[in-house]
Amino acid sequence: MRVTRRDLLIWSAGATAGMMVTPVPWKLLGDISIWTQNWPWIPQPTHRPIDVKESFCTLCPNGCGMRVRMASGWPVGVAGVRNHPISRGALCPLGFAAHQLIWHPQRLRRVRHHGGTSSWDEARTAFARSCIEGPIAIVDGYPGRAASSLYETFVQKQHGVYCVVLGPESQALAPYEVWSGVPAATLGYDLENARTIVSFGAPMLDGWGTPGRFTGLWAEWAAGKADPDLRLIQIEASLSRSAARAYQWVAIHPGGEAALAAGIERVLLEEHLVRASGPVPPLALAESAEQSGISTNAIRDLARSIVTRPPAVAITNEENPAIAALNVLLGAVGTRGGIVQKSKHPKSHLPAKPELHNVRAVLIDPSVPWDFVPQTDAEVFRFAAWDGGSSQADWLLPAPGFLEELTDIPTAPTSAIETYAIAASLVKAPLEVRGTAEFLRHVDPHLITVEDVIHTRCEDLFRARAGTLCAQKTTPVAKVPSVEKLEEHLRNGAVWMGEPQHPGPLNCKLSEWPQATRSECSPCNPLASWRAPVLPPLASKLYQESNLREGRERRDA
Amino acid sequence: MARSTLVLGLGLVTALLAGWVAFPRVLYVGQTQPLDFHHKTHAEQSGFAECAQCHALRDDGTFGGTPSLDTCMSCHSERIGTSHDETILVDNYVKTGKEVPWLVYARQPANVWFSHAIHVRRGRLACSECHSTYGESDDVRIYEQNRISGYSRDIWGHSILRIRFRRHDGMKMSDCEDCHRQHHIQVGCLGCHQ
Repeated sequence: MRVTRRDLLIWSAGATAGMMVTPVPWKLLGDISIWTQNWPWIPQPTHRPIDVKESFCTLCPNGCGMRVRMASGWPVGVAGVRNHPISRGALCPLGFAAHQLIWHPQRLRRVRHHGGTSSWDEARTAFARSCIEGPIAIVDGYPGRAASSLYETFVQKQHGVYCVVLGPESQALAPYEVWSGVPAATLGYDLENARTIVSFGAPMLDGWGTPGRFTGLWAEWAAGKADPDLRLIQIEASLSRSAARAYQWVAIHPGGEAALAAGIERVLLEEHLVRASGPVPPLALAESAEQSGISTNAIRDLARSIVTRPPAVAITNEENPAIAALNVLLGAVGTRGGIVQKSKHPKSHLPAKPELHNVRAVLIDPSVPWDFVPQTDAEVFRFAAWDGGSSQADWLLPAPGFLEELTDIPTAPTSAIETYAIAASLVKAPLEVRGTAEFLRHVDPHLITVEDVIHTRCEDLFRARAGTLCAQKTTPVAKVPSVEKLEEHLRNGAVWMGEPQHPGPLNCKLSEWPQATRSECSPCNPLASWRAPVLPPLASKLYQESNLREGRERRDA
Repeated sequence: MARSTLVLGLGLVTALLAGWVAFPRVLYVGQTQPLDFHHKTHAEQSGFAECAQCHALRDDGTFGGTPSLDTCMSCHSERIGTSHDETILVDNYVKTGKEVPWLVYARQPANVWFSHAIHVRRGRLACSECHSTYGESDDVRIYEQNRISGYSRDIWGHSILRIRFRRHDGMKMSDCEDCHRQHHIQVGCLGCHQ
């Protein structure tokens, strides 16, 4: 029998039709998709017993407690620590996926000089030369750490400048420093005792401050209740997640926060709703209504609603003196449930501005956000674990990544109580990366080490015999037998918590209504100005699916 | 019957035979375990009647998994039999201190977080509900590995159509979901994919 071309085509048609009713195409599709997930260059942990270590997130200054699952010395999973007194087991999406960051394709692994490849020796030589020619500036993102102390010592010796880039939550406390003289770094919010929170655009239920802190309080006191014990009044232009879940959402015009605060203050004074007195805002109520997009009656109702359930405190996510003045009038400064002084050890830091003049070199710590780009003629040495896209630095120096470096975690910026923790180095850093402190010690070998500073701080805590260690169980520091034991507990994931400070009056001298700042003119939408650094794949997925990123249609709504 | 219909049918039958008979055989490659281990012998003659005697949960709740060489050495530090596999165990592994590279039938991929402690202690599941009566077997079956994905055949299940004739057949995500649904257990994505 002669097989023709037509026979082959018909046979193929039959075979194709038959193949569709076999498992071949469907099973191959599934298996190939799995195969693509397991390509040889994708790091796979070896199958070994899983170790669980307790540590702290170091991606922001809030230092949430985290349980890190380790396989063969590598972190393979992260979860919150339920016993952590502040974060209460919660993590933000970035922290939840932080273990993937050390394998990020944008991990910085080589010293770069003006975009080209260079070496550590050349970078050290260039920096040492700058120090001799001086002066230099060091910019820090998380002040108060052991490394920060080392930076301060270094710049003192070099007659340089140490300055910090404050986060939005710390910036919001800046007006009180101006008015009372108490450093903003020693102030915090006593949310645990507040009963009305007036949020001017601060993403209270989207991870403001320490993500688990307010969400925990809200879940305990407010969630699902028609008349909650803790009222969140969210004043925001868009229906954010915080606004959607708040007791009351006040939709205002973008950028109308200061005007609304002035309007509320005017009503509080006119109707004698508060005992304190303060400067009368220059805006008439009608002007406040026009600028904020809220009717005068609604402003009156809002002002009455705020004082219905005291203590009330207003929170913003940027430096806004008008909102700070509202807190002064509400009597929320230096009182229970308001803004309190958490530490009696005042220390003020010079805020870093992009314009850094009269310096020979600027060294930027990896904790400084990417969007801080110094406008200077000085030589810029920028440490970074990931190449977030900045090309403004002369030198880009690869820094240790997540959990690759020993660091301590001082009190979170918004906390009302002092805490101290140590995030041990759980992962061995790649050979090609160096810490900032190690880099400085090459220039000044007599500089103290981070280990020494941490040990000294543990000694101070032990000598003070105050506060408690919070781990699986709570232990008063007075019952810890030795400083070595205290340090061991801290390195194994315990948190030291100071004694609650009794709120003392903060004498805010506010004789006239504060001048508007630049930030008051911009829309108070932290998400709009937030620029993502490198994100691990899991964080991207969580970020998108958890609706943290608002879509254009919702922002415009 | 027209010639074209016959040829069409021939193509159809060829594809069906290839898809249903040849493909499952070609897709998996069989591998023998490094040693001929008898669960039944160990249970009956050595007194290891409970699975947890060798596959123990640690104090912290993590699962010990396949026993390490130390567990084997508690009896096999010297030869206690005359079989060929006993010689291999002692000479190749016990004396050299090298772990036996067992092929684990139920090994889940790295992106799955599975807690034996939760399922055994809290869920009160018997080992056999997922692992069948393998603990009573008197031989080691061939480990079948998917040539493309690299996974054990036990994950997909024996049937290429994933028809579960037995409860323990298959350990894919949908099997976990089915069981959770039956027991009214709600876990989100991150419950298993941490």
